Amino acid sequence: MDAVRSFLRHPSGMVGLVVLLIVVIVAIVAPVAFPVSPWEMVSAPFTPPGEDGLLLGGDTLGRDVAAGVAYGARVSLVIGIASAMAAMVIGVTIGAISGYFGGKVDLVLMRMTELFQTIPAFVLAILLVATFNPSLLTIILTIGAVSWPPLARLTRAEFLRLRNREFVEAALCQGEGTLRIVLGHILPNAISPILVVTSLTVATAILLESALSFMGLGDPNLMSWGFMIGAGRTVIRNAWWMSVFPGLAILITVLAINLFGEGLSDVLNPRVSRRRS
Amino acid sequence: MRGTVQAMAPVLSVENLSIALPDGGDRPFAVENVSFEVKPNEVVCLVGESGSGKSMIAHALLSLLPKGVAVASGTVMVAGKNPVELDRQALRRLRGGDAAMIFQEPLSSLNPLKRVGKQIEEMILTHQEPTPSASEVYDRVQQLLTQVGLPNPKLLEKSYPFELSGGQRQRVMIAMAMANRPALLIADEPTTALDVTTQRQILGLIDDLRRDRGMGVLLITHDFGVVADVADRVVVLRHGKVVEQGTVEEVLRHPKADYTRELIDAVPKARLDQINRKDVHSEPLLEVIGLQKTFRVKRGFLQPPREVVAADGISLTLHEGETLAVVGESGSGKSTLGRMILRLTEPDDGAIRFNGQDLRRLRGEALRQARKQLQIVFQDPFASLDPRQKIGDAIARGPMAFGTSRAEAMEQAKKLLMRVGLSAVAADRYPHEFSGGQRQRICIARALALKPRVLIADEAVSALDVSVQAQVLALLAELRKEMKLAMVFITHDLRIAAEIADRVIVLQKGRIVEEGATADVFIAPQATYTRDLLDAIPGRNFFDQPGFANETGKIPTARMSS
Repeated sequence: MDAVRSFLRHPSGMVGLVVLLIVVIVAIVAPVAFPVSPWEMVSAPFTPPGEDGLLLGGDTLGRDVAAGVAYGARVSLVIGIASAMAAMVIGVTIGAISGYFGGKVDLVLMRMTELFQTIPAFVLAILLVATFNPSLLTIILTIGAVSWPPLARLTRAEFLRLRNREFVEAALCQGEGTLRIVLGHILPNAISPILVVTSLTVATAILLESALSFMGLGDPNLMSWGFMIGAGRTVIRNAWWMSVFPGLAILITVLAINLFGEGLSDVLNPRVSRRRS
Repeated sequence: MRGTVQAMAPVLSVENLSIALPDGGDRPFAVENVSFEVKPNEVVCLVGESGSGKSMIAHALLSLLPKGVAVASGTVMVAGKNPVELDRQALRRLRGGDAAMIFQEPLSSLNPLKRVGKQIEEMILTHQEPTPSASEVYDRVQQLLTQVGLPNPKLLEKSYPFELSGGQRQRVMIAMAMANRPALLIADEPTTALDVTTQRQILGLIDDLRRDRGMGVLLITHDFGVVADVADRVVVLRHGKVVEQGTVEEVLRHPKADYTRELIDAVPKARLDQINRKDVHSEPLLEVIGLQKTFRVKRGFLQPPREVVAADGISLTLHEGETLAVVGESGSGKSTLGRMILRLTEPDDGAIRFNGQDLRRLRGEALRQARKQLQIVFQDPFASLDPRQKIGDAIARGPMAFGTSRAEAMEQAKKLLMRVGLSAVAADRYPHEFSGGQRQRICIARALALKPRVLIADEAVSALDVSVQAQVLALLAELRKEMKLAMVFITHDLRIAAEIADRVIVLQKGRIVEEGATADVFIAPQATYTRDLLDAIPGRNFFDQPGFANETGKIPTARMSS
């Protein structure tokens, strides 16, 4: 509760949260505000912003850019959050096992993590999506699969720091089981930095998804920001609005998530939040 | 050392000093209306328990107070200057020039990336004008290192802080402090982190330097033993107010304030006359045979690993209801011994027999069952409780892990909390709401929840204030009798060992150098090392003098021969 109150007083964190809430609201009300599907051609191609009742203009096929941006928010948020969760589950599990048991297990798992880290995430993501059929689920799993290494390393470091702490040893002497010690004592004390990094992973996941869609590797049934930029990029010199508005949407959302994440980090880090109060 | 103090102008005078704390603290002032002075060639001790504001005063003297804390009223004059009124230039000249300060933890006060010689040089170069030549500075550094009693200054000057021992680091800190011949030395708990024998040397060094240079020393400490050894005058602080001040003789022998008397009484004294020797013939409960443990620390590439022997053939026995103290300096392997008995650290060789079975052969469930009867209380009460777990849960978890129902375990936990002197309401609170002494009581309750037969107390009272220390020791003594607990009491403080133990083991570098009944070891120590340790107990001469009797009239009769 203290953390919540402290966050409410964090200026940039609150800006991030408010902007993020606006994006969420846009995503929720998209079907109400734009009852017509964003794939529907509603006007003449290349309609500039403001004309023909289209606030943000129309694209090369006369589809409503504003509707696209609103529906794209749903895709971006769902993929961003779901893949960050996937990355967290994979990363925390591997990091926790590695950090708690140490020794050979740690050696094997960490070499594997490094293997993933040495391959550029985006190249691996393209490879995976191209191998499987691009769909919402495969994209989420792919982004999760390339984003977990930093979380695994962080979790491992936290576990190494905590596992020889006296309260953990006391729990061991009290006869508590391994699972109980890990879930009940170590993880709750390591959760703050993990949450912060996960929130920042949401931002990178949105960027990854946009990049994949830009390359034409997104789910073909979903209107996404990356896809819109990709489709509009060839005509950017005479129809800037087709790429600029979804681009701005990405910029604002990612920035908001980063601000939120940093605010969270300040609040959850006892040293910083104490200085603030 | 307690010579006549010349009637000279004081090097430090503090008058009606009050330091305000930020709003929302537990009290409005850290320090209130404090007045005292330090004359040249005089050692004044500022004594108090944690939270008494003694460090705040030290920091105020050099304008080092943390943000949000400020001098509210009163004046401080350090070598004739008021640090509050000085501009930044003048303040810099004062710090390390007229007045130097040394801290408790020498490792964190030295820059880890710079050779110690360079750090002392820097001190000289910052303050001396005109800037002395390189060879002059070099000579000065060598001279300082020699003066603080460091061996081989030529080589030592090139060392990094991590290559030195705690005592050597503190000597380097003192050399830095002495670099500009300060009129006042402020020492904030300079020996608290050091072993007794090292503590004695460092205090001796400070005293020698004081006498040579006639400087004033303000020594901040919580230990009345240290006060008795080095101080000319004493200022006793409590909750930021001066309770009593005067000469050592006045304050220690005839304390006027009740609080001072309590503190002096709480100093553990070897009350050997009270110890009844127990004749034990029964089978030992715990038997350790030939325990071996060597830690290998990897150094650089191609260098052989450094080996630290923590246990070299340690054997001991412990009977039901008996308390065995394991004493030794840091690095003697005493904590490792306790951890090996619980199998928190794996020994290299040897056997640990408990209740007829060899603990080292146990795995999994059998080990869990055996550990139930062996419990531990750690040194740091802040690190040994999970900050995110309620007290009640912390205590009830153990019995619950062995099948007790939650309701029943919580009921027991509340009873235990009351038994260790806390209220049952504490069960619903989190650890950060308790003080150090209260937390240690909670840790004891947690250890006892499983009804163990052996309790290992690893420096269990070392982190506590003396008065709290005395209470916790008394509680342990009661519980031991009540539950027929056998106890392994690991400590670096011989006074505490003498007070609580039936038998004592003295460890040095992983080897038992002496073993025997407490009275025998303390009255007629056989090993030189034991004698050295006993000699180094601070305040021993003072508290052992036949004339010294405290309120309770217990005169420590033991004349420890050496």
